[in-house]
Amino acid sequence: MLKNVLIVDDDQEMLLSLKNGLKKYGDSFSVMTAKDGLEALEQLKKNIVSLVVTDLKMPRMDGFALLEHIMEHYPDIPVIIITGYSTPNMEQLALDGGAVGYIAKPFMLENLARSIMASLRRESEGGTLHSVSSGIFLQLMEMEQKTCTIRLEDKDSGQKGVLFFLDGELLDARVNNLQGRPAAYKIFAWDKVTITIQNVCPKMDNKIQSDLQPVILEASRLKDEGTPVEGEADQPAPEPVPADTPPAKPGPSSYMSTIKRKLEAEMGRRHGLVDIYQDNSWNGLLEQITSVGALFGAGQLKVGYIDRGETSDFIVLPDEQTTVLSVNPKCPKEKILQVLIK
Amino acid sequence: MKELFKDILNMEGVKGVLFLSLQGDVVFKKFSSQLEKKLESRDWIHFVGSLNGIRETDLVYDNARIYIRKTGSGYLLILMDFFVSAAMVRLSCDILLPALKPMKGSKGFKRLFKK
Repeated sequence: MLKNVLIVDDDQEMLLSLKNGLKKYGDSFSVMTAKDGLEALEQLKKNIVSLVVTDLKMPRMDGFALLEHIMEHYPDIPVIIITGYSTPNMEQLALDGGAVGYIAKPFMLENLARSIMASLRRESEGGTLHSVSSGIFLQLMEMEQKTCTIRLEDKDSGQKGVLFFLDGELLDARVNNLQGRPAAYKIFAWDKVTITIQNVCPKMDNKIQSDLQPVILEASRLKDEGTPVEGEADQPAPEPVPADTPPAKPGPSSYMSTIKRKLEAEMGRRHGLVDIYQDNSWNGLLEQITSVGALFGAGQLKVGYIDRGETSDFIVLPDEQTTVLSVNPKCPKEKILQVLIK
Repeated sequence: MKELFKDILNMEGVKGVLFLSLQGDVVFKKFSSQLEKKLESRDWIHFVGSLNGIRETDLVYDNARIYIRKTGSGYLLILMDFFVSAAMVRLSCDILLPALKPMKGSKGFKRLFKK
């Protein structure tokens, strides 16, 4: 499961340089940015963030205020402070406030990357499971009276959520801007999920106030009836589609399944496909290679094969959502590209 | 320097070669004169920055294909037709690569080449 790291700094050059510099760790985490604390809060509402790296001195909402807010509302998200105005007193204040790391500017990018990776590793210390049924797994957590933080990613929609268990009791849930029971209903409606387990649960109020079974049943009822969960219904309805609009594109899941089927049909088991997912963190690179293609008069980019010297190579398919195929480096590249551009 | 890229440029279907330094400077180019002007006037720094961490990439566009290979001193871009064998281009680059390592003691762009 690709993790999101949110970097907050009012220095745009610093943000850009960190974002670019950390791209080489793109197989472990993707980087999101915000230019101050308030913008970071918006990002936290919309996305599941695994870690926040923040500057201290920023306009509108500074790093200390952001740290305080995160500790109160997102206590599971570790925060690393980076600052150009470091004093021992400030460092102590940050660590007392709940920060897991403190790095004075200027710093080596690798040092920051090491701190990020160490924190992220803790997020999945209890293991990772792929393509499991969320309902069955979560009942197991209750039965075994587990204390843990569970992060889930829905295989179909790519949405991410978090659940907090204390001695087998579900205390809280979070997905996008939903918390408590509405978030739990949404998460429990996911059929197949990827799960990572962290063997701790931050201190928090019990916002669920119910056994697990009734929550699972209610989630199932809402799903069957197609009723949006409370809070989601407040979101603006999609624009009506004019009659002459072309038919909607297939959803991301069906698009990815089609690609997989196409490769299997044309190549059997030789396709070397390891995973397929949507990931917009490649968009910066895609923008650049698209504009270079235009300069050369090559036309629109259809597909790109990328070798970063890692255990997997990547094939990117640009669209509104960038689709990424991770493949075995020994796969028949030419053949795969031919199949994909057909 | 043209001699260095001769084998690649002579391959059927290869339309041109561009070699950029890691800082985004155009070190070598061989295309039509009109395209060369465009390439010279572009700021390549962001493009080179976006390739950070990439060893090689094969990009398929509507009308052409671009193969990019990282070397010790920059990035080699090869514009080619669809039918060109990427394996052959890769092999030619493998042969060329040792000559594109930075030379110790030389200054300017000359330090980028062994021959």
